[in-house]
Amino acid sequence: MFKPQQTSQQFAPAREDLAVHIQHLNYFFGAGDLSKQVLFDISLELPKGQIVILTGPSGSGKTTLLTLAGALRSLKDGSLRVLGKELVGLSDRALVGVRRNIGFIFQAHNLFESLTASQNVEMAVELTGNFSSKRDQAGAMLSALGLADRVDYKPQSLSGGQKQRVAIARALVNHPKLILADEPTAALDKKSGRDVVNYLHALSREEGCTVLMVTHDNRILDVADRIINLVDGRLESDSSPNAFIQSKQGDPTDVSADMFIM
Amino acid sequence: MAKRIPLAWLNLIHDRRRFATSLAGVGFAVLLMFMFNGFMNALYDSQLQLLNRFNGEVIIVNRLRTNMFVPRAFARRRLYQARAFDGVQNAYAVYISEVNWKNPDTRKSRVVRVIAINPDEPVLNIPELDTHRQALRLPETALMDTQSRAEVGPIEAGVITELADRHIRLVGTFTMGTDFASGNGNLLMSDQNFLRYFADRGPEEVERSFATVDVGVLKLEPGANVERIVKTLQENLPNDVLVLARDGENGFVIRERKYWQENTNIGFVFSLLTSMGFFVGIILVYQILYTDVADHWAEYATLKAMGYKNIYLLGVVMQEAVILSVLGFIPGVLVSQLLYQAAGNATGLFFQMTAARVINLLLATFVMCLVSGAIAVRKVQTTDPADVF
Ligand SMILES: Nc1ncnc2c1ncn2[C@@H]1O[C@H](COP(=O)(O)OP(=O)(O)OP(=O)(O)O)[C@@H](O)[C@H]1O
Ligand SMILES: [Mg+2]
Repeated sequence: MFKPQQTSQQFAPAREDLAVHIQHLNYFFGAGDLSKQVLFDISLELPKGQIVILTGPSGSGKTTLLTLAGALRSLKDGSLRVLGKELVGLSDRALVGVRRNIGFIFQAHNLFESLTASQNVEMAVELTGNFSSKRDQAGAMLSALGLADRVDYKPQSLSGGQKQRVAIARALVNHPKLILADEPTAALDKKSGRDVVNYLHALSREEGCTVLMVTHDNRILDVADRIINLVDGRLESDSSPNAFIQSKQGDPTDVSADMFIM
Repeated sequence: MAKRIPLAWLNLIHDRRRFATSLAGVGFAVLLMFMFNGFMNALYDSQLQLLNRFNGEVIIVNRLRTNMFVPRAFARRRLYQARAFDGVQNAYAVYISEVNWKNPDTRKSRVVRVIAINPDEPVLNIPELDTHRQALRLPETALMDTQSRAEVGPIEAGVITELADRHIRLVGTFTMGTDFASGNGNLLMSDQNFLRYFADRGPEEVERSFATVDVGVLKLEPGANVERIVKTLQENLPNDVLVLARDGENGFVIRERKYWQENTNIGFVFSLLTSMGFFVGIILVYQILYTDVADHWAEYATLKAMGYKNIYLLGVVMQEAVILSVLGFIPGVLVSQLLYQAAGNATGLFFQMTAARVINLLLATFVMCLVSGAIAVRKVQTTDPADVF
């Protein structure tokens, strides 16, 4: 009990307006001689309601940062506040509680083939104990994602984009205040990837939730309020989409403004 | 109406073919246990078929007859002595001997066991005796056990062949079943006929007469205290005979069963085989559950990321284990029932599926699946939601 108090004194006090507040975060994989640092002194503030895209080269630590913010790994160093809760030093059991307030979207949809679209979404609702309204809640969320006529379909009779939308419905159905997405469009073709992101964008605006999304997909950068670039475990830049594109101009292999189809 | 989604059930039945194969696998393990256990019990139970027919509360045998296989008779006057005691209503003699029976079709000789009684006395609880009493009083007649092995040939009434090289005619059948001491089957005849065949069988064979008896059956007066009478007889009859209650913990029937349990490897061998069935089942069910967890690894990890606790996922795996055990047991027990009948007909052994035995094996199946489940859940526990990203 003593140690967390001591560490929190070094960090700025909790702020109401921030969904995620990271200060001086270091993260190591492995232990002892084999330990390898993948995140270096990360400090980051994500205000509520913002859509933030996290980019960077492969292996730069994006996924690691996302799993830390999602309370999927325990950590000892620095300060990481998610929705007002300090995660550093939390027990595994307490981390599970934090996760229930976060919506996760993965590269793969990870839906149960044995459950219908609705049932897959209801699995999330059941965590809240709303058994009587779960079917309605799932149906409403699926309709909002344009799947009203696919509610009772099993994943095997849905297209890739539809499956990913079901996965998004599952992540959003409990109205989480924070959504973490790791390359949600990577497995989709251009059109369905765009659809999925548009829905995500619209819903997060409606619900006023914060989105932290990792993507390599330059075509969807326009939905972001802000783009963060992570290189070798360090924050390289933090800018608006336009500034981000400007900064990359002249690099032919990278983004260009005409990729935007707004 | 709004319930938790039955994830375990839905996951199991999602792939119908795999589900059917899984149930067949569990059913097969159940079948193995039933068959081995069934043979063990049949071998024991069969030894008691004759003993359970004795129509009396107290049994007298030669002290050296430790089991029905030992051909030791005792003096018939012990029966008269026993009859004189208070509470003893009657004392019946049972004569038993083994002898060659000639299969009328193949002319080959086979050993059968002859059981002989006075047809006018209610010595044995064999309903067919009542119908054939009259015919049995005639010379050179007998009833054949329908459960006798096929080697004895045709057994219907009217069959004429040779017993101990003498003419014999079957006048009917009865149904009892074979045991270790019964050779190829049981032949039932009157004591008078017994004397005809066994009084003088040549120099090598023991001569039989009414002076010695193989088993004495005492019928007590209604309401008599069995325990007390057994005790009195034990104390007062000479030491060459053994007096036992027919039923009860220290009774004649249990003694016979215990003899075979303690003096043969039947129990050991068949218990070993039964537990092999058990372990085959554990491996099969583990395989099924492990495959399910491995195939749905990312989905289970996603549930953990969403905030489901380990205990929920353990519950899913254990539910799958229980469903498999119960649903796999049903085909297993049904097929076993058929095989029991077939095995009973083929061997003449007494295959009995009692409620207690079915419940025991259901519990064993249940434990089998729980053990498999307990091993398989470790896979779920180690599933790390951070790895799905
Ligand atoms: N479980 C782990 N154990 C050890 N090292 C790991 C583990 N997971 C990731 N790493 C290492 O940490 C570094 C950062 O990995 P991370 O997955 O966060 O990168 P990323 O930015 O998401 O890359 P990509 O764009 O390819 O997904 C990499 O060097 C990787 O090899
Ligand atoms: Mg990654």
